Amino acid sequence: MTAILEVDGLEKRFGGVHALRGASLSIAAGEIVGLFGPNGAGKTTLFNLIAGTFPPDRGNIRLRGESVTRLPAWRRARKGIGRTFQITRPFRDLTTLENVLATVPRTGATKPADAAASRALLRQVGLDSRAGDLAGTLTLGMLKRLEVARALALQPYLLLIDEPLAGLSGRESADLLAFIATLRSETAVIMVEHNVRQSLPICDRAIVLDAGTVIAEGTPQDIRTNPAVIRAYLGTDAC
Amino acid sequence: MRKTIEIVAIAIIAAILAFALPRLGVSPYLRTLVYYSAFYLALGQAWNLMSGLTGYVSFAHGALAGIGAYAAVMALNADWSVAESLVLAAAVTMLISLLIGVTSLRLRGVSFTFATLFFQQLALLVLRKLPASGGPGGLALEEIFPVWLPHALMLALAAAATILMLLVRGSRLGIRLLAIKGDEDAAVAVGIAATRLKLGVFCASAAIAALAGAVHGLFAASLYPDVVFSIDFSLVALAVPMIGGVATAFGPVIGAVFYVGLGELLQIYAPSLHLTVIGLLLVCIVLFLPAGLAPGLAAILPRPAAGRLKPVREG
Repeated sequence: MTAILEVDGLEKRFGGVHALRGASLSIAAGEIVGLFGPNGAGKTTLFNLIAGTFPPDRGNIRLRGESVTRLPAWRRARKGIGRTFQITRPFRDLTTLENVLATVPRTGATKPADAAASRALLRQVGLDSRAGDLAGTLTLGMLKRLEVARALALQPYLLLIDEPLAGLSGRESADLLAFIATLRSETAVIMVEHNVRQSLPICDRAIVLDAGTVIAEGTPQDIRTNPAVIRAYLGTDAC
Repeated sequence: MRKTIEIVAIAIIAAILAFALPRLGVSPYLRTLVYYSAFYLALGQAWNLMSGLTGYVSFAHGALAGIGAYAAVMALNADWSVAESLVLAAAVTMLISLLIGVTSLRLRGVSFTFATLFFQQLALLVLRKLPASGGPGGLALEEIFPVWLPHALMLALAAAATILMLLVRGSRLGIRLLAIKGDEDAAVAVGIAATRLKLGVFCASAAIAALAGAVHGLFAASLYPDVVFSIDFSLVALAVPMIGGVATAFGPVIGAVFYVGLGELLQIYAPSLHLTVIGLLLVCIVLFLPAGLAPGLAAILPRPAAGRLKPVREG
């Protein structure tokens, strides 16, 4: 399959903290990849480096074969990297529809990006009835879906979803995961999630980080039984 | 359709105020108040376009207007036509705003505000020392223009600035500027080139402020750096939208009329309390009516009129 994203030897230090130590991975078109790991493993740092929130100290990031390593975040978005945030960041004083309309579609996007298309995206995430309401009035579950709609308005090649289930009820989590599973036809997805049990089933592949390094990669079944993963989550006594 | 009606209405009202008032026998005193309302409205809309929509609070708009005033008067004294002088004033100020913007618009929040405040003071120091601008003694316009000219130009500018704000606020550009105001990191993540957009809108806003200053140069005929570059005009630019309604198209209209009207009443009845009352009023508005007077008025007016005072929204 064609690689949408190739990450090669990413390093990032924050003062004395070595957040990423040469992380490498590759994501194919139409793939949903779960990015797992214990707290402090470097998952959100990796997300931020891919999205361009800050540059890596070393390493390369290529989107569809083109290096985006030194591009600012807005340029990467226009190249086709969409993202959501761990703690939702809606434009609270804009309406739900305006939140989606704010997005600048990626360069070369084929679909229209007008109000009708934005409403269709809101319908897709189940928020069309709240199109005219201020985003600040939405519930957490709705805000998570709004962020996905806002990122989908980019018509991205790659969507980074950061902890989509945090703070959601069981029902809301199941609905959101079912929705994310439908995105395969539109975009590749990397999803960071702490709830491995619930999110792993929708993943085609999983990558596990620990202490800034990729320690395991494979199908959900491989990951469940991988000794290095069990050790990272449960400690050395578990193996 | 509604927007077209609003634009036509703004143009008609400005034309009536510019050309019909003298013929209707309205006193020069009242016409001067109308002029100052238009001047403050133009300044307020310039600030509103930049700071109201992006949330980057500028204290430089008074200085930008001052540079426009000096550039226009110097050009007029060098026998340039009024139109050429106004264009020059806008161009020079846009160039300067580009320099300020490039160096300061990567800063956020209070840091940007302090950078603009620094520029305001720097402009005053430079104009005081510059021999070509007359130094501390100021600069006088060599040709006195009939008073109707700055009146008409200022009303046209105030109307154009209000129409521009109306169009921008209801457009995708306006939504993206408000997104920057809401959360700049999230805005960047959806492909908004925040720094470029802020720079562009700051230059456009500076051009409006410069034109307001340039026209006021025709009206005042004498420019003194300590007056033109005092912080007062920057405060007016900020106060007018804050009183009326930040990031709305019609809020600053209410703000400008209210500011000039109240200021005039206080000058007559309580001159020593003028600035104190204005200051207290601003504090009260920030605390109790953070969205300004316009949304408050919208709540008590009948629906069609109220719609024009609310922020323009799609959806």
